[in-house]
Amino acid sequence: MSGLGDQLANRLREERTRRNLTQAQLAELVGVSRKTINTVENGIFIPSTVLSLRLAKALGTTVEELFQLR
Amino acid sequence: MKPQNVVEFADQLSRRRALGIALATVAFLGVQLVARPVFRSDGYGASGPRAYMWALNAAALLLLLLPAGGFIWGRRVRELVNDEVSRANARTGAAAGFWMAMAAALAVYAVAASRALSAREAAYVVVTPATAVALLAFAWLESRAHRDG
Repeated sequence: MSGLGDQLANRLREERTRRNLTQAQLAELVGVSRKTINTVENGIFIPSTVLSLRLAKALGTTVEELFQLR
Repeated sequence: MKPQNVVEFADQLSRRRALGIALATVAFLGVQLVARPVFRSDGYGASGPRAYMWALNAAALLLLLLPAGGFIWGRRVRELVNDEVSRANARTGAAAGFWMAMAAALAVYAVAASRALSAREAAYVVVTPATAVALLAFAWLESRAHRDG
C-alpha cells in the first residue's frame, strides 16, 4: 500500500474488539458492509468523513481517537 | 452456511459477484481467443448475430461496473453490496481500463501505419483488453476487500 494510507493509523480493530463486536455487528450498527469495516481496519481503504463520523458514533468515541496521522 | 442477517447476506452476494465477474471476464477473453470474431477471413462474425455478440458481451460486462442491479434483493442489500468501498473499487477498475484503452489505442495508431485496420478491428483491439482489465481489476479489489487480516 502506498500514498495516503501510509500516513493514516487507525484503532478501529482495537476499539471494536474492546466492545466485543464482530465486524458484521459493527457493520450493521454503522449501516455499511462487513467488507468496508474489514478494509478500514486493514488500512486498505480510507473512509470518507461521513463514514468516519458514523464509525466513531457507533463506537462511542471520537474520530481523533479512531484515526491518527503517523 | 446460511446468512444470519442482511449484512451477512450482502457480504455473501458481494463475494459471489466478485467471483462471477472474474469468471465471466475470463470466459469472455477465452471466447475471443478461440473465435477471434473480427480478424477471421472466413466471414465468421462478419454479419448476422455473430457480428454483434462481441459488442453485446463487452457492453454487458462493462455494465457490471455500475453500482446498479440486484433489484430483487431490495434497497438495503443493494446499498450494502454497492457501498463506499465497492464504488471506489469500481472507479479504480474503470481507471485501469481507461489506461489499457489508451495503450491499445496508441498501439492501433502505430500498427495502422503499416497495416490498414477497419473501424471494427480497431474498436475490438481497444475495447476487449480495456474491458477485461477494468473488470479483472474490480474483481481482484473486491476479493481483496473481503480477505481477513
